[in-house]
Amino acid sequence: MGLTRRHVLTAGSIWSAALACAFFSSGRVRAQDEAVELVERLTGQTATVSDRLHLVMPAVFPTGYTVPIDLDIDSPMTEDDHVKRIRVFAPQNPLLEVASFNFVPQRSIARVSTRIRLAEPQYVVAVAEMSDGTLLMTKTFVDVATNGCI
Amino acid sequence: MNPVAPRVLLPSAATKGEIFKVKSIINHQMETGLRHDAQGRVIPRKIIHKFVCRYGGAEVFSVDLHEAISANPFIEFYLRATESGRLEFIWEEDGGGVYRLEHQLAVA
Repeated sequence: MGLTRRHVLTAGSIWSAALACAFFSSGRVRAQDEAVELVERLTGQTATVSDRLHLVMPAVFPTGYTVPIDLDIDSPMTEDDHVKRIRVFAPQNPLLEVASFNFVPQRSIARVSTRIRLAEPQYVVAVAEMSDGTLLMTKTFVDVATNGCI
Repeated sequence: MNPVAPRVLLPSAATKGEIFKVKSIINHQMETGLRHDAQGRVIPRKIIHKFVCRYGGAEVFSVDLHEAISANPFIEFYLRATESGRLEFIWEEDGGGVYRLEHQLAVA
């Protein structure tokens, strides 16, 4: 069977449909998927997006050198149910691992603040490792005006 | 070069079970390891890579820090007042530097 006009048109329309999907799918959904994939690649585990994680950062910040970050996770912090650690990633930085905060049940609570460097505007991702082995995650977009990673 | 200056801010007294805030900061000469000198050689990394807080001899909070933490790392965290005793704060720097502070907490 030769290459007919119909074949060419069908192939063409599949292509444009695929392109349209890629183009029109919401940027938000795509970023969410990318963040989940990134966490999977780094930890070998699938993380669940959770509103128990509160990751608070300024939406816009003038310098990438010292961007404030506040993390707070809803957890009773008992032996049976606690946050073991929180890892923070900045995927567009030259080195994407930012920090890992380690907690102890009954002794510390899963809340911490610090200041980080961001190379460019990006989603910052926080992953909480829970005592039952599950991973919870969230992310927030931060627009920085200058590169803080030099 | 300025001497390394660690500082902590936390209460000296608390009631049993109370959650209290600890503010910590350490001023030091940071190198990210991402910069080059005039000859194009990488300037070796020098960051605070570990921070540990011990309370009554037991580790209650710690942080593994990477290059993306701002210079002079500031960390604010929260502990539960369980007993009167000594809190120790330990910062470890690339190249082997270790800096410590101690603080007495009275719990009633």
